[in-house]
Amino acid sequence: METLGFLMDGFAVALTPYNLMFALFGAFVGTLIGCLPGLGPANGVAILIPLAFTLGLPPETAMILLTSVYAGAMYGGRISSILLNIPGDEPAMMTCLDGYPMAQKGRAADALAISAIASFAGSLIGTIGLIMLAPVLARFALTFGPAEYFALFLLAFATLGGITGKNPMKTVIAATLGIMISTVGIDISTGTQRYTGGVLELYEGIDFILAIVGLFAISELLFFVEARMGKGRSKVNVGKLTLSFKEVVSTIPTQLRGGLLGFIAGVLPGAGASLGSFISYTLEKSVLGKKGRFGEGDIRGVVAPEAGNNGAASGALVPMLTLGVPGSGTTAVLLAMLISLNITPGPLMFTQNADIVWGVIAALLIGNVLLLVLNIPMIGVFVRLLSVPPMYLLPIVTMVAFVGIYSISHSTFDLYFMIVFGVGGFLLRKLEIPMVPIILGLLLGPEMEKNLGHALILSDGDWTTLWSSPLSIGLWLVAGLGLVLPTLFGPILRRRMRNAIKEGPVSD
Amino acid sequence: MTGLGDRILGLFLLVLAVAYGWVAQQWPEPFGGSEGVGPETFPTMLAVVLVVGSLYLMIKPDADARWPVGKSALELVISIIVLVVYALLLEPLGFIISTTLAVGALSWRMGAPAAKSFVTGLVSAVVVFGLFNYGLSLSLPNGLLGGF
Repeated sequence: METLGFLMDGFAVALTPYNLMFALFGAFVGTLIGCLPGLGPANGVAILIPLAFTLGLPPETAMILLTSVYAGAMYGGRISSILLNIPGDEPAMMTCLDGYPMAQKGRAADALAISAIASFAGSLIGTIGLIMLAPVLARFALTFGPAEYFALFLLAFATLGGITGKNPMKTVIAATLGIMISTVGIDISTGTQRYTGGVLELYEGIDFILAIVGLFAISELLFFVEARMGKGRSKVNVGKLTLSFKEVVSTIPTQLRGGLLGFIAGVLPGAGASLGSFISYTLEKSVLGKKGRFGEGDIRGVVAPEAGNNGAASGALVPMLTLGVPGSGTTAVLLAMLISLNITPGPLMFTQNADIVWGVIAALLIGNVLLLVLNIPMIGVFVRLLSVPPMYLLPIVTMVAFVGIYSISHSTFDLYFMIVFGVGGFLLRKLEIPMVPIILGLLLGPEMEKNLGHALILSDGDWTTLWSSPLSIGLWLVAGLGLVLPTLFGPILRRRMRNAIKEGPVSD
Repeated sequence: MTGLGDRILGLFLLVLAVAYGWVAQQWPEPFGGSEGVGPETFPTMLAVVLVVGSLYLMIKPDADARWPVGKSALELVISIIVLVVYALLLEPLGFIISTTLAVGALSWRMGAPAAKSFVTGLVSAVVVFGLFNYGLSLSLPNGLLGGF
């Protein structure tokens, strides 16, 4: 019951008025980020990092703020799925299937309310899973040596594209590019200048925060400019809440199943929230079979994917917190925050920075309660904000990104660099090179090199040490599978997901 | 030819990988001799991986993306120029003036009416400036509005 004690300490951290205020702020902003057009969760969290920095927030507060934003974004994604049939973020895709038909039948308010409840249930299950699994995994991870870590990093990259990923080779290329960028600067172990070209600003390496903000925020702006999607969406009428208590109770089994499946999908490398919500939805459909009216606005068709994707969101924090290896874009950005707070992520964090880890976990629980409370009465506010046209929103978001980056170092050099990353990110995204592996490469590159160095020094330069223990062989195998499986099963799964969406009555 | 985009990217990455790998071989051996892993070991591995990746791209490219042409491309270039000019003028003109111009220009180019765009720019600039300078006491450049 040691865990419970830690959790209580975590609550003590998270429940201070100061931290609670930031959790509330984060939950609100997160929901906004999730529902506003052109602001994905990873993007939103990335923009907030420099701000959290310049505010000089203490580490636990900064992490609580960003985790609440993360949780909030998962809630927000569903709003535009239900009302407009446009998923706010990728995992919210499956919510469109029954959410939108419900809205068309005039039950938009009910769909929003039940999805908020399902999100809450999913998150709660996911967070409980996190509390139980994370310490165990962290203890196990203490047995990892440098060679195992090296293999683990490879595994993280290999599975990042996910089982539904399109072209694994592009993931490899993206990761390599990211790691390459991270090698710029003075080599930590030997002091050799690498790829600096004598430019003073490059001696300390390229700040990954400006790279992340550039790659996400600036390239997003350029995408909107190109697609000319400046016009807003029409206002939607939500209608009255008619959800009965009995109806809520009837969805409880669905919520439990969805949350649990989502959590598992979130923990596993290469699955992630999108797959979590997809699996939950499909399972629910097959469990209930003919009894349900899926695709026509069945309430359980809204509950399942929402519980699934929120469960997955909490699950995704498990590898990030225990191993320092994030499995998704947003958790990668959270990792960036940890690294820049000078906290070494990984198993040691549970002993050395227990207050932060448990504070974050407690904040996740509190954040979810706040989100549920926020989301039911304030849904009208969010809906109104949904119709803010991107042509005003995105320039302002870009400006906030500029301010954030500028206020870190007060140098315009960083701003030019950020623009370069933005343009580069735009070009790479056009060519379907994913952004997340680049960012993960930037973050994990130095650690990977350090572990490689340690492993080789311990073995006196014998390279076979990298795959000599059973554990590291296992990790290499999974990494290999992570690259091979998507080419075999990716097309099938993708087709299924597409078909599932096509089956839904899509109008407009 | 289909997959031209990927092929060009592949070629670019190949050049990059070779240059990156070559530069790594030029570094002087660190003081104290080599110990299995020098500063060049890891970059060399990366260069090899990227060479393989870029060759794969050139041999098996994906179908082409739709690239912006004509007006869309022009708008993109304009937006990038606005961003660069914004960074350039941020310190000399000060935050409020440069932000009004930048946010205004971007909104306007994205399709908002000109007057409304620049008002949005001004309002957001003043709000953010006030929030940062007075609320959070982080100084943004004053520029021309020195005494403001």
